[in-house]
Amino acid sequence: MKSNLFKYNFITSFIVALCFITNGFAQKTDASNYRMKFKFKTVKQKDNSRLLEVSFIGQNKKNRKDKVPVYNAEINFYNTLNEDEKLLGTSKTSKEGIAQLVLQKNQNYLTDKNGYINLKAEFKGTDAIDEEDSEIAVKDINLELNLKEIDSVKTGIITAYTIDSVGVKTPVEEAEVIISIKSMLSNMKIKEGTIENGKYEFEFPTDIPGDANNNIIVYSSIEDSDDFGNVIQEKSANWGVFKKEIKKNKNTLWSKAAPLWMYIVLTILLVGVWANYMYTIINLFKISKEGKELILNSEE
Amino acid sequence: MKKQETEKSKTNRRNFLKLGLMSSVTVVAGTSLISNLSSIGEEEKTSGEKVRLLTPDGKMVEVDAENINKYPEALITPAEARKGIPDRKFVMVIDLAKCKNARKCVEGCQKGHNLDYHEEFMKVQLIQNNEESDPYWFPKPCFHCDEPPCVTVCPTGATFKRDDGIVLIDNERCIGCKFCMTSCPYSAREFNWGPKNKFEDKSQPYSPETQVPAAEGTVMKCDFCPDLLRQGKLPYCAQSCPMGVIYFGDKNEDIVTNGEETVRFSELINDRGGYRYLEHLGTKPNVYYLPPVNKQFPLERGFDHDKEILERYKDVPYVQELIKQKKIKL
Amino acid sequence: MNVKTRKRELVKEFSPMLEKTRFTTKIWIGVLLAIILVGLYAFALQVIKGHAVTGMRNNVVWGLYIINFIFFVGVSYSGAFISALLHFYKTPWKTSVSRIVEIITVLSIIVGPVFILLCIGRLDRLYFLFIYPRIQSPITWDIIAIITDLIGCFIYLYLTFIPDFAILRDSKKLNIPIWRKKLYRFLAANYQDTPTQRKKLHKITGTMSKMVIAMAIVAYTVLAWIFSLTLQPGWNSTIFAPYFIVAGLYSGICVIIIAMYLTRKYFNLEKYIIRSHFIWAGAFFLIISLLYGYFTFSDYFAKWFSHKSGDINLLETLFDRYFWEFIFANYLGVILPLVILSIKKLRTIKLITFAAVIGVLGLWLNRYLIVIPTLETPYLPIQDTRPEFIHYTATWVEWSLTFAGIASFLLLFTLIIKFIPVVPISGIIDREREINDAKLKSE
Repeated sequence: MKSNLFKYNFITSFIVALCFITNGFAQKTDASNYRMKFKFKTVKQKDNSRLLEVSFIGQNKKNRKDKVPVYNAEINFYNTLNEDEKLLGTSKTSKEGIAQLVLQKNQNYLTDKNGYINLKAEFKGTDAIDEEDSEIAVKDINLELNLKEIDSVKTGIITAYTIDSVGVKTPVEEAEVIISIKSMLSNMKIKEGTIENGKYEFEFPTDIPGDANNNIIVYSSIEDSDDFGNVIQEKSANWGVFKKEIKKNKNTLWSKAAPLWMYIVLTILLVGVWANYMYTIINLFKISKEGKELILNSEE
Repeated sequence: MKKQETEKSKTNRRNFLKLGLMSSVTVVAGTSLISNLSSIGEEEKTSGEKVRLLTPDGKMVEVDAENINKYPEALITPAEARKGIPDRKFVMVIDLAKCKNARKCVEGCQKGHNLDYHEEFMKVQLIQNNEESDPYWFPKPCFHCDEPPCVTVCPTGATFKRDDGIVLIDNERCIGCKFCMTSCPYSAREFNWGPKNKFEDKSQPYSPETQVPAAEGTVMKCDFCPDLLRQGKLPYCAQSCPMGVIYFGDKNEDIVTNGEETVRFSELINDRGGYRYLEHLGTKPNVYYLPPVNKQFPLERGFDHDKEILERYKDVPYVQELIKQKKIKL
Repeated sequence: MNVKTRKRELVKEFSPMLEKTRFTTKIWIGVLLAIILVGLYAFALQVIKGHAVTGMRNNVVWGLYIINFIFFVGVSYSGAFISALLHFYKTPWKTSVSRIVEIITVLSIIVGPVFILLCIGRLDRLYFLFIYPRIQSPITWDIIAIITDLIGCFIYLYLTFIPDFAILRDSKKLNIPIWRKKLYRFLAANYQDTPTQRKKLHKITGTMSKMVIAMAIVAYTVLAWIFSLTLQPGWNSTIFAPYFIVAGLYSGICVIIIAMYLTRKYFNLEKYIIRSHFIWAGAFFLIISLLYGYFTFSDYFAKWFSHKSGDINLLETLFDRYFWEFIFANYLGVILPLVILSIKKLRTIKLITFAAVIGVLGLWLNRYLIVIPTLETPYLPIQDTRPEFIHYTATWVEWSLTFAGIASFLLLFTLIIKFIPVVPISGIIDREREINDAKLKSE
């Protein structure tokens, strides 16, 4: 990405220069026209790692449709408990205005007495853009997804629990869960349900094609929960009913090779005509030869 | 024989590496897709050919949109582009009830394919089925037919149909005879009539999958953006439509998406009476239309454009009526 | 009858045509060259600035070039057809006109394909047609057919030239430069007009003439298919191939009548090209024009009657924007020859030639009306603001190249008849020999 900025550094510097000129007359910086949107969220991923993500986007105060990402802004991520602040890491925003930090599953967090992890994201602020921060508190949940055939019914079983510091599992009382399957370009929701007492069971549809090997990747996810943030879990099952098209290697009008009869007819026509041309030319040579002999004879 | 085999395995390995690269890209793109699709999408819509960014010190900078061939190392060469993405069969569904001629699909496509103002792979036409029915906006890409007349008539095989259903053009093979243009009943193809500076831009290698850079004296058309599909992204038009008119997906998976909702293709077609345009011609298009029933917007909403664009529709009787009633100005 | 003295007499009679170039001829050649030079300039412009200098755009992707192409190839095909017919049936009056017909045949098959090359966006990649051929494409068929036809016509024309080359080689008195004498010697291919040689030559010319008829039909059918195999309204018609063949004959006979008139006037050939030639050609013209009218009517009538929306859009365009062209091409071109040739008083050389001129123009317009209006009315309405993308108007580049094509046709014709007698000497002798033989037999 950097390289691209450098590639166009002439244009960029030109525009920057232009900005300076206009700045003198109008307002201090471009950013003053924009209201900053600082959004912080956390996703617990399938390998139990945790993604922290900030989206930092400026929205034009006058024209709300005009949104511009803040690029290359340094974001600090903290784990807080009361007055303690533990720095988890730092990341810079991308061209989309996104800063991400991935924490591995063995990461130790400070948790409060109710079992919540307090997370904080912070932008220190510059002369032009004010300081921003955002906090969220989530419980560390474990979501498990199992796909089984029970009495030849394709069934999905979701279990959700939390583990406290001494290792005791507590089933989650209630949480909304979404079941979706992966497709090439997006995920398709197939069911919504509620986890009650740590468990949710669902019947899997029987008519999903899946990929060429009949594999289907199934996701179970909790989205934007006040208690758990975002949690996602996935499993693959060989439950697809993909009908692999038997590839007909037929010669068609639009394929590379033509239908056979076309070659045959064309060959017959061409051979016929060119054979005739050859016959004519050979005879012409015969005529010429005869004439030549005649000339030689008369000269003798 | 042996030599051939080793060569084959070499290219196989290369393809494998390529695919690996692509799929890792897909994962990265995928994670951000879930969370940021809306914000990214809107950002692209508001900008022109460049992306604007704010720097931490409050300055606005413009950088080139990196849409075109973001991963040149994964370039698909003309020879490889003939094969198609394995086990896929791409299909597009256009919901005519939702189209309000915002033209974002056209603009997104033009940006992505480095097209000029009047060069449109996606055209939005105003179609009136009969005198009694109201006209409707009709976005028209290439239909990527299963019996493509354009491919049939091509004398050099410059245009071809791949196993994944996509019909592409290799502009390094095209001799510019324009026979494909006359045989396409949907006027989907464009010709490069004269030299242009952008043809000389060799900063990225040519691929039939991106059609960039275009070449003088050759034909081009909508390509279903296979370069984006390989990255797990929607084609430019579907990405940029604010109304979610354009659904795209793999017919084998039976799943299509417009970026907001993801649905079963067969259900969408069967529940909503999906049809193909000019079905009787027997070209078997891979673009389906959902009829313009319960239209979400009055037709007049589609007239918020340059005069240059609006004048295209002035011959439609309904539009003449609107002009008479002074509902729209031309 | 002494063949040798008769040959000498005839060579003497035709020698002015071969030896001297009249001042008017020089001016004529100069004018033609000037037109060709302008055309070359236009072509250079088209190469440098691209096809944007033509009137062709995304909807009307084919213009004057393809019209000229089908026109010239049509003339060639019908020339081959008529000339082979003349040879085949040994018609008594064939001698005087057969060479004109043969030259027209070969020249138009040379000039015609040049126009299709002008239409191609990437001439530098033309060889792709041969290294990546696709047998399904009608263009591939067309290329094969035209190349085969061209070579066939060349061989055929050469065979008919050989006896005259031999006569010219043997005429020592002919006042021409040495290189021409050498060339005659080479081209005559040791032909000594012995009975065996004559028999052999007649035999192969006979088979070639039949071949050329078949080739011409195939080539022109394939050309018609370029249009009729597409799905476009107005093109996708099953009668297009025979319609094109009749239309080709129509244009061919018109061009032949005009050429007969001009050479007769220019060389004072009143003795050889007589009124009955024009009457016979006119009769053929009449029959063909009736057939042509019949096909035109059938094609448009079916479209009008069955009332498919695409066809109706096309007919509306034809009867609105192209009304006068339509009348000229499809009514006048049929009615005029009918009137002139059925009324005995009007059956004069001048009027028949006049009808032929109208016929050529009408047929050219007919080709225009087949190509352009169809491309202007596709299935999906053209919604564009740029006038040049909605309607086709040929630019000066296309017109000047069109005229350059016609001029090079005329120039080559002029040069060939300076090189070889426009009435075949050998043909005259053959004819006289036959009459002589018949006389001897009856005695």
